[in-house]
Amino acid sequence: MRILLAEDDALLGDGLRAGLRQQGFQVDWVRDGVAAERELRAEPYAAAVLDLGLPLKDGLAVLRDVRAAGVTLPVLVLTARDAVPDRIRGLDVGADDYVLKPVDLQELAARLRALVRRAHGQPQEQLRAQDLALSPAGRVVLQAGQPVTLSTREFDLLQALMLNAGRVLSREQLEQHLYSWGHEVESNAVEVHVHHLRRKLGSGVIQTVRGVGYLLPREQPAA
Amino acid sequence: MSLSAPSLQRRLLGLVLGLVAAVWLGTAVRTWFDARHELEELLDGHLAQAAALLVAQQLGEPDDDAPAIDAPVLHKEAPKIAFQVFHEGRLALRSANAPAQPMIDPGEGFRSGFRSVQVAGTEWRVFATYGAERDIQVYVGEQQRSRESILWALLRGSLQPLMLALPLLALAIWWAVYRGLAPLRKLGQTLARREPQALQPVVVPGAPAEMQPMLNALNALFERIGRLMESERRFTADAAHELRTPIAAIRAQAQVALAEPDEGARRHALQATLQGCDRAARLVEQLLTLSRLEAAEAPPLAALDLSGVVQGVVAEMAPQALQRHQQLTLDAAPICRVRGEATLLVVLVRNLVDNALRYSPPRAQVQVVVSIQGGKVTLTVEDSGPGVAEAELPRLGERFFRVLGSGQPGSGLGWSIVRRIAQVHGATVQARRSAALGGLLVSVQWPAAG
Repeated sequence: MRILLAEDDALLGDGLRAGLRQQGFQVDWVRDGVAAERELRAEPYAAAVLDLGLPLKDGLAVLRDVRAAGVTLPVLVLTARDAVPDRIRGLDVGADDYVLKPVDLQELAARLRALVRRAHGQPQEQLRAQDLALSPAGRVVLQAGQPVTLSTREFDLLQALMLNAGRVLSREQLEQHLYSWGHEVESNAVEVHVHHLRRKLGSGVIQTVRGVGYLLPREQPAA
Repeated sequence: MSLSAPSLQRRLLGLVLGLVAAVWLGTAVRTWFDARHELEELLDGHLAQAAALLVAQQLGEPDDDAPAIDAPVLHKEAPKIAFQVFHEGRLALRSANAPAQPMIDPGEGFRSGFRSVQVAGTEWRVFATYGAERDIQVYVGEQQRSRESILWALLRGSLQPLMLALPLLALAIWWAVYRGLAPLRKLGQTLARREPQALQPVVVPGAPAEMQPMLNALNALFERIGRLMESERRFTADAAHELRTPIAAIRAQAQVALAEPDEGARRHALQATLQGCDRAARLVEQLLTLSRLEAAEAPPLAALDLSGVVQGVVAEMAPQALQRHQQLTLDAAPICRVRGEATLLVVLVRNLVDNALRYSPPRAQVQVVVSIQGGKVTLTVEDSGPGVAEAELPRLGERFFRVLGSGQPGSGLGWSIVRRIAQVHGATVQARRSAALGGLLVSVQWPAAG
């Protein structure tokens, strides 16, 4: 899952980025409000972690403006402002969660996963489709109850497809899900990972829609 | 109002009632004396007149052989009056209640005029006189008690309504005082009803002019406390806010280090954890300095050489400047005496120099000058750093105000500390663009040392 981290404090930003990566997220880190707004408008992040005391443009203003522009991704506000009116304002302006510093990294990751799940209409922790069950927190995939070993990229790809089960995702969309900045994406990377997934899970699990992209149907197609 | 405390109501009541009673009593005593005097004169006049009548009556040929005549009693009050007429020592005429012996003992010798005597255990006022001829003696007496009872009746007439009026008056005064003190009671109730934290001004509608100074003083006090509490509250809130970020950073980095399998990445996270600790420690140090400064009374100031203090601080900061390849120079006049407190001055100078170094890029210049002109000592610290926008200059020194985009971790507390220490010393702080170096110039000027 690819998320945007907006935090102006160098030490904290560095720590959060490293910690969220350990938890299996792809993290892009911006340090001011203007950059945060630009990225939120341009890139398809699964979620964002937004500090409020950002230079150049305050986090609340960023949030208000991107919400006004129709950006719907889940936003977790991470801030030192603990006054109740601040929290209320934050949530009212469009935050999906409001977390006070300091925060436990695992809790932060869990909240982000929950936000993303809910944003895709999936209230349970496990993603389910066909005979697959994917647990984002444990990074475990079960097929018909049996664990399947997947690489990081394969897992992320499967997670993106399962989150959007029943919908077609283009190759570009999948690439954006898989890679944060600074990663050179080979032109056929998505095809390669899809190929590996089909080999491990069975060829019918992921379907190709020619000229459009890939689709993971909710129900197993009749053989 | 509690019973043990002296009650204003009771005091006023007592005072007013006491005064009224005293005035009445005085009036009554005066009336008593006046009335008695007038009464005596009037009744004495009547006695004398009656005696004159009796004398006139005796002018007819007195019959020495006639028996003494007892005059009839014509009025119920008549027995209080008695008279006797003696002719050549023999009783010629008397009232029924008069004794046969002269009312005034003849042994005392006969003198004309008024006399108070005891006759048969009763006090009489007696007027004695001669007839036209010396052998007729006339006595007219009146019971003293009857005079007194008239006097009492008179006095009773005037005092009784007063005695009745006094309790009524007390009630009226009590009510008036109660009404008069209503604004005070209202103030008390208003104060009692307030939330303990409420600090808005007390408003008592219709408060009398006498209460206004008290209300004003009270409201001024509330305002002072309010300001103090607000600044205290803001300080704690700001401090908590400012401490959260470094602590969050420490926590995140430590957690990353714990979970990191890669040695290099773990070292990086641990280094960052240490950095975070240093930063939090510095912040705490600054907060403590500031709160101590704000709580402290004016410290004892002594004459000392500012140049010496600045030299020490610059020497101490030089390694930090060298590390960042910054050029730190000092130009200090030999002896610059100011009245000051040495430790505080060191903190002030260190904060200024530290700020200049911290917010200027590597290879920047930082120039420290101590000069004296007309007895006034000035310390200036200027740098070739990015400076501060004109609009933001006045906000320097607000707690936790930071210049955005400075890229440096900081709390803005250093500035507050500088301002506060300068204030304690009666020194003025100014910040402006440095003409020579292009960055920020801060000058602190002490008043001429007395």
